Amino acid sequence: MRYLVRRLLWMGAALLGVSALIFILVRLLPGNIIDIIAGTEGQLSRSQRLEILHSFGLDRPWPVQYALWVWSMLHGNFGWSFRTSQPVAGLLVSRLPTTVELAALTVALVTLVGLPLGILASITRSARLKVAVQIVGLLGLSIPNFWIAIVLIIVASFAFHWLPALIFVPPWQDPWINLQQMFLPILSLALGLAAVVVRMTRSSMLEVLGQEYVKVARAKGLGSRAVLLRHALRNALIPIVTVLGLQMGFLLGGVVITEQIFGLPGLGWTLLNGVYQRDYPVVQGAVMLFAITFVVTNLIVDLLYTTLDPRIRYE
Amino acid sequence: MNRVSRRKLLARGLALGGGLGLGGAEAAQLLIPSWRGQTVEAATTAQPKRGGTLVAAAEVDPVSLDPHTNSNFSAAQGFEHLYESLTGYNEKNQIVPMLAQKWELSNGGKTYIFHLRPNVKFHNGQTMTAEDVKYSIDRVLDPKTASPWRSWFNAIEEIKVIDPLTVQMNLSAPYPGLLGSFAGMRASGIVPKGLAERENLKIKAIGTGPFKLVEFVPQDHITYARHPDYWDQPLPYLDGMTFKVLPEMTAREGALRAGQVQYASINAQGAEQLARVPGIKVLKGLIATVTLQYINVAAKPLNDSRVRKALRMAVDTNEIIQKAEFGAAVPSGPIPTGYGDWYLDPKTLPYTKPDIEGAKKLLAEAGYPGGGFKIELKCSPQYPQLVAISLVVQDAVKKLGVDAQVVQQEWGAFVKDNDTVIRTGGKEGGEIFASGNTFRPDPDGYIYPYFHVGGERNYGGYSNPKLEPLMRQARTIFNHDQRRSLYVEIQRTLLEESPNWWWYVAYNIEATSEKVQGYAQSFTGRRFLLKKAWLSS
Repeated sequence: MRYLVRRLLWMGAALLGVSALIFILVRLLPGNIIDIIAGTEGQLSRSQRLEILHSFGLDRPWPVQYALWVWSMLHGNFGWSFRTSQPVAGLLVSRLPTTVELAALTVALVTLVGLPLGILASITRSARLKVAVQIVGLLGLSIPNFWIAIVLIIVASFAFHWLPALIFVPPWQDPWINLQQMFLPILSLALGLAAVVVRMTRSSMLEVLGQEYVKVARAKGLGSRAVLLRHALRNALIPIVTVLGLQMGFLLGGVVITEQIFGLPGLGWTLLNGVYQRDYPVVQGAVMLFAITFVVTNLIVDLLYTTLDPRIRYE
Repeated sequence: MNRVSRRKLLARGLALGGGLGLGGAEAAQLLIPSWRGQTVEAATTAQPKRGGTLVAAAEVDPVSLDPHTNSNFSAAQGFEHLYESLTGYNEKNQIVPMLAQKWELSNGGKTYIFHLRPNVKFHNGQTMTAEDVKYSIDRVLDPKTASPWRSWFNAIEEIKVIDPLTVQMNLSAPYPGLLGSFAGMRASGIVPKGLAERENLKIKAIGTGPFKLVEFVPQDHITYARHPDYWDQPLPYLDGMTFKVLPEMTAREGALRAGQVQYASINAQGAEQLARVPGIKVLKGLIATVTLQYINVAAKPLNDSRVRKALRMAVDTNEIIQKAEFGAAVPSGPIPTGYGDWYLDPKTLPYTKPDIEGAKKLLAEAGYPGGGFKIELKCSPQYPQLVAISLVVQDAVKKLGVDAQVVQQEWGAFVKDNDTVIRTGGKEGGEIFASGNTFRPDPDGYIYPYFHVGGERNYGGYSNPKLEPLMRQARTIFNHDQRRSLYVEIQRTLLEESPNWWWYVAYNIEATSEKVQGYAQSFTGRRFLLKKAWLSS
């Protein structure tokens, strides 16, 4: 319990750090909302520029802007989008489910495919299978997922004349159509991630299978399945869970581009557009949400350790 | 459309070059024979049919739907079906009456009187009157609105409501471009009086357009429904339209092939692939965007016109067109090729073929024998064609001994540097920027703001005492032939002086399902003629 409280305090501090960092970073980006509004063709006078800056509150000193932002965030107010004048909180909340669904289903698919394949690769005697896993793993690691995404679109539309309905439908409205819409994006994200998990599972399992206690379990006459799943896998899972947790960070990054390619109205694309348009409140809000997700995932991973391995205790 | 007539149309389209009867396009085909994309004219022979919803892929997400405060072309693509102005454009890019039925000029071109069309309904059922026109244009002119396009209407000094259907505008000086400024629809949409104070126009819209807004979900889709009380009955034919935002070209092409959308804007590569797909037709017409490089003429060595011209002479325009647009473009001078009769015939443009010897001589004359200086070419990967252009130029000027660095910048950074050049009078920001001038409602728009002393977009303070009176005269006289010969002279002088390097006008390439009938492309690059489109079964 003490550990949890301490962790939560640290999380708060980390998020405060992130907030300061992102606040400074978006302001260090060259150009601001006015440059984007006017483009290379607009003809705004100096006084018009100042007028717009003032209307967005951008003429105040940075510390004041930052303090106001953090203060209102603590009250659940993420500010208003420069672009649409709508509350950022509402926008992000409406975009969050898509991204969460995308990430959750990807992790589920990765686990369902990656774990068994990794285990299989660790116990198989077939040299071909081992090489195949190595190659797939290497490809999955080295091909960027936006490229996979484009290839998937080409294959689906050119070869099969198939693409799902384009206007996004949330799962609670029509789960079947939603799943079709999510299919290609999930696949494009999962391929790379699954490769990591397969390789990690394989090496982790190989290490554990060489341990004394596995030999003891075998010597006791336990069935090979019981040895594999109850004794070996459970211990092998710790580094795998760690990697999966860390990969969540990369996944959130992948989501940004994947959503744009497939036209999914999620948090990632919102963030990307926010950066393009220098919509500071949207960028800040979206990054904070990503940071919160990441920090919470890490906490969950750490707590999972104690369940997986009772020897791990937090003081 | 049956097979035979399609082929016939194809042949005709190719013979005409642009397929839209643009004189420049014809010449262009002779210059650029390698582009194999096909052209099909929208068939207008069959009887239009009412009903159906068009699903289209949009390449950009509209930044906002406010018809007055955004310069972003994406915004115009969002609101162009919702709002209308006093005048508009037809298929041939001629100015036609829209909300104004007719107009009169008096007082030497300084007074415009517009007679409004009676019984025009807004989407909320309200009838449009002169008060609404005054309110809308006053909003654009109000500095507080900070409309980036206010300069198009700057000449208007006063707007007077004569009666509910008559508006009088008094100008500070004669300005023949005003009718085009209204038709241009960058900041000229007519909204009901007081609307901006009541609604968030960035996401809501009430106009007089053929379609009304149903739903705008940024980064997902925008849905329109037929405006049942539209003044120009029986238009529009479609019951509604949905634009799904798909920034990725491959995704748009895929959606078209899979039958998920019936309209998409594509590029030349996509056109070649789609031209052979049954059930899909490819439309191709020139679009009034001149792709060019701005030069900051404030500092050495680019303050010398001989240097600018010499570098320009080293570059092969055709190579630029091949590498930047895969051949789907025509060379252009300052006023885009195909723009009425204002532009210079591409065949007569100087230095379209590289002249290395001439360039070397000119450089030596300017005091740089063998080059020996460094320049920076800025561009943004947001527009890959501009990066390609910069690379071709870099390669070409190497032959003159000039070391050109290509600097790729994220769009926001690029725009900022652009503005820095103007703000600092060319002292900071950069030397050369690859960019484009999109459609302007009058030839003046491509010339005056850039090259007259004190112009809003005069990079590095270009000034030419010989051009000043010509430019001023050309924007204030109404005699077409006189104006035309002035613009020819101005353009020739500018090409000699090379304060910009004008490269080409690209083709606007769109693909639709064969079921989409009656749609014609517009030289403006806008899609307002979708109001005439209909779906065959």
